[in-house]
Amino acid sequence: MHLKAPEHQVAGHIAKDGKPGPLVDDKGRFFKPLQGDSRGEIEVKFYESFSSNTEIPDHIRRYFPVYHGTQAVEGSDGAAMIVLENLLSQYSKPSVMDVKMGSRTWYPEASEEYIQKCLRKDARSTTVSSGFRISGFEVYDHKELSFWKPDRKLLNGIKVDGVRLALRKFVSSNTLSDTSSKPDSAFASSVYGGSNGVLTQLLELKTWFENQTFYHFNSCSILIIYENESIHDDGARAQVKLVDFAHVHDGNGVIDHNFLGGLCSFINFVRDILQSSDESTDN
Amino acid sequence: MLKVPEHQVAGHIAKEGKLGPLVDDRGRFYKPLQGDARGENEAKFYESFSSNKNVPDHIRGYFPVYHGVQLAEASDGSGKLPHMVLEDVVSGYVKPSVMDVKIGSRTWYPDVSEEYFNKCIKKDSATTTISLGFRVSGLKIFDCQESRFWRPEKRVVLAYKVDGARMALRKFVSSNPSADSVPDCAYASEVYGGSNGILAKLLELKAWFETQTLYHFNSCSILMVYENESGGDDERRAQVKLVDFAHVLDGNGVIDHNFFGGLCSFIKFIQDILESSDNRCENGH
Repeated sequence: MHLKAPEHQVAGHIAKDGKPGPLVDDKGRFFKPLQGDSRGEIEVKFYESFSSNTEIPDHIRRYFPVYHGTQAVEGSDGAAMIVLENLLSQYSKPSVMDVKMGSRTWYPEASEEYIQKCLRKDARSTTVSSGFRISGFEVYDHKELSFWKPDRKLLNGIKVDGVRLALRKFVSSNTLSDTSSKPDSAFASSVYGGSNGVLTQLLELKTWFENQTFYHFNSCSILIIYENESIHDDGARAQVKLVDFAHVHDGNGVIDHNFLGGLCSFINFVRDILQSSDESTDN
Repeated sequence: MLKVPEHQVAGHIAKEGKLGPLVDDRGRFYKPLQGDARGENEAKFYESFSSNKNVPDHIRGYFPVYHGVQLAEASDGSGKLPHMVLEDVVSGYVKPSVMDVKIGSRTWYPDVSEEYFNKCIKKDSATTTISLGFRVSGLKIFDCQESRFWRPEKRVVLAYKVDGARMALRKFVSSNPSADSVPDCAYASEVYGGSNGILAKLLELKAWFETQTLYHFNSCSILMVYENESGGDDERRAQVKLVDFAHVLDGNGVIDHNFFGGLCSFIKFIQDILESSDNRCENGH
């Protein structure tokens, strides 16, 4: 089994200083190290529950990574890893964005320390104001023929206008590192729009969230992926996936109003960009 | 002649020399402008809202009509004070059942003082605000079997957890709210259901909240009212009104995701009660 670090990770833990990070193989699988505390356990418990939950409609199941159980992996000290579908294996030049959903990332069952840490981060970012924050993104520049990723620190400090700009840059083809030119939003309709685009997928998820009381997806992210290779001929093949289930709790008969509110806000941002890119005739 | 409102369930009460709202006999509600920024903010909201051309007419019906500010004799004897003059939402009802539900999973909002934030988050944690996205602030239900109003104590209402909130929403549409026995949900389909029922109105509000970016309704309540007096037409005249705008802020191009999430959660609770009452809710818990 040939394992290596994933190429396009935009958020979450990476392999650093001897601490294990995620790995991918050449068979379309993603290996996520089980985090030492209860988080890894919670994530496994979620995936086990979700995969066998017969009340999850098929059209919703597609928004979640396929789960392949846990496995001890050589070279990681026998530590167990969660084996998932590698969401990027079918893409040759993917642009990826990670959006953490919800106007709060903490939840009542968490420790006081964790709640305080989250409150600080939520207040500093757009989480409290907008109901979501962009954790990271990487976009392919069609002119420079290379990937561009904004500085992490810069991203942490953005406000509402910065979010709008990032969402435009994410679907643009022009030189992104050059801050003097406005993003052209060239791929807005192929990525965000259309009957299979991001907006349609988000709206489908929203309908499920209006009723599902199985899980509360605390601190979960929505990953947006699209293909840049032959985008003009073959389309963007945009996909929306929910990821990061280390803090998921039972819904206990209550809808995930925190995630739902944030999702609806995010949908509005995407819709605004789609509409303004459809209307714009200038750059 | 101004008097203390009979059916107020939440907020400051003009009783025993305290400053609170008053009503007249022409369907108007006089809310004293509190000395701090809150009264000013609420009046500012009403002024903005009444003249805002971007609010659709069918949504305007969910807000009390605003009649400006007038001087009136304050309820605490402190003389003539400015009062906001609003539509008295419960005038025109003979025996109204009323419930006040504060919507949103947080009652605080960005840039408030640390003191206010701490006060809010403490209350949000102690009630169902964080867990459900809404909390019952007050209720007064007409018990048809006992032929009198049932109003639980405020501290009992604020101590409701998820089950308590569900039970209150069931009692709200029952003929036996004061009894210890299981609420019969006898009026669930008339009050919550139907094309003019509370659920239909909440769904209309929800559709507006999915896209409106005009205002953020921090700490606002939804008031539900319906008639118990049988007047021949058997009309419950269920109403839904948004009230309490002391903490409303500009939306600034972002939807009120806090209110929206809580509203959806509240709608789910009502839908569940309606469904189970269609299958009889006597075997509920």
